[in-house]
Amino acid sequence: MSAGLDNLKHVVVLMMENRSFDHMLGALHAEDARINGLAGNETNPDTANEPAQVAPQAEFQSQLDPDPDHSFPAVQKQLFFGTPGPPAVAAMQGFVQSYWDQQHNVAHSHKIMYCFAPGKLPVLHTLAQSYAVFNGWFSSIPGPTVCNRAFAHYGTSFGQVNLDIFYVKDASESIYERMLAAGRTTKLYYFDPSSSTQEVVNLLKNQPQIFGTYQQFLEDCKNNALPDYSFVEPNYSDHPGDDGGELLASDQHPDHDVQAGEVFIASIYDAIRQNPDLWQSTALLITYDEHGGIYDHVPPPACIPDGFHAPLADTNNMPFAFDRLGVRVPSILVSPWIAKGTVVPGPEDPANGRVFEHASIPATITQHFIGNYDNRTPREKAAQTFLDLLTDEMRPDSDCPTIEFE
Amino acid sequence: MAQPPVIRVPKPARSSYQPNRPLSKSSLLQSQVKHFRDLEKDLPPERQTGIPIDSITTEGQAAEYIRRMTVQLHRPPGGV
Repeated sequence: MSAGLDNLKHVVVLMMENRSFDHMLGALHAEDARINGLAGNETNPDTANEPAQVAPQAEFQSQLDPDPDHSFPAVQKQLFFGTPGPPAVAAMQGFVQSYWDQQHNVAHSHKIMYCFAPGKLPVLHTLAQSYAVFNGWFSSIPGPTVCNRAFAHYGTSFGQVNLDIFYVKDASESIYERMLAAGRTTKLYYFDPSSSTQEVVNLLKNQPQIFGTYQQFLEDCKNNALPDYSFVEPNYSDHPGDDGGELLASDQHPDHDVQAGEVFIASIYDAIRQNPDLWQSTALLITYDEHGGIYDHVPPPACIPDGFHAPLADTNNMPFAFDRLGVRVPSILVSPWIAKGTVVPGPEDPANGRVFEHASIPATITQHFIGNYDNRTPREKAAQTFLDLLTDEMRPDSDCPTIEFE
Repeated sequence: MAQPPVIRVPKPARSSYQPNRPLSKSSLLQSQVKHFRDLEKDLPPERQTGIPIDSITTEGQAAEYIRRMTVQLHRPPGGV
């Protein structure tokens, strides 16, 4: 066991919304060729059969309106356009065509190929280059939010590929229930009651005591009261605060302001970074639930099925046995025990590449805090875990970025 | 002593705040409202919000409905 792992007392997972790896981090390839981002010449055909090329022209807001379709059928088009479909390897050539379907506007459909220029996202880009960035972290399902987030909590979506409320089938326990049963501490922090939890309202109904707010998270960090495992949800809506102020959605879901999400990510990092005890004993994973219909160039790989089959009514009659992953998303692991500039290879490196997905979250938490635990899906049991990235060497304070809010 | 590098975090534009954004623009928020409505059906009448979900047409209204439901779910059974 590494010294970093030996010192680890807390894991915090922050899951943002609906942005692909290439959209957020792809341009960093120009600064570090190990990051499997964009070469700059990637294209998708538009409906006039002209190539729409990737470009570092992504804006914080108002560009991806309407919200790009990322329902299961739409994502199949994004992945398999121009191919016979699964089990063929996804060609990643249907993103522009899929976005065109929503407005029939050729020029607008090209914007689905845009990415953020290096430095335009100072928080995400700096953290990615200062700690560990995953080249091969994929959403769990080629589909929308709720079913993907379910994998982070349960290691499965219980057969769902859509946004419907899900009901826990069989005796599966969420990672929070497992932790409590093992005598560990855990909390699911939503932003505030007006934002609440997005995907586990049943847990909120049955076990409200495991939920807290963002404000509580900040206080828990300050008071050395952070539980063993924390899951943080951003603010999902623009709404007034208790004091009548304006609270911006910070989830980065189109068409919410990406910069507000940067502030939120920075605040989570800063709350941990500012407490020296917490800083050296905490690992923070920043990830995104799914790609939100936005272009990524890496075909999602196959995975171990979780034993469910999606209802054909939800898949446009395409059989789906949860045997392949969704589109790649940004994921960054932060800890002073991680070597600066770590790039975790993905499918681009057949010899050393590793594939992660959201079932990796309960798999990792279970492995570290609970140990042997059998009552979970084959999918979660097979999922890669990520705490081996912590090393024996803790970086000096002067090597780890601090935050200054303007 | 060497100082750590600093990440300067800009403020988002004030014009970003749009609580009147139509709810129809977000399938995610629409589904969240539906999830809470599903739970509300099982609450005793005195703990229900009385808000018809068809009347929720903006992001800000959705947030207010979700707030009231979340507060209810945090109350112990029997509490109002």
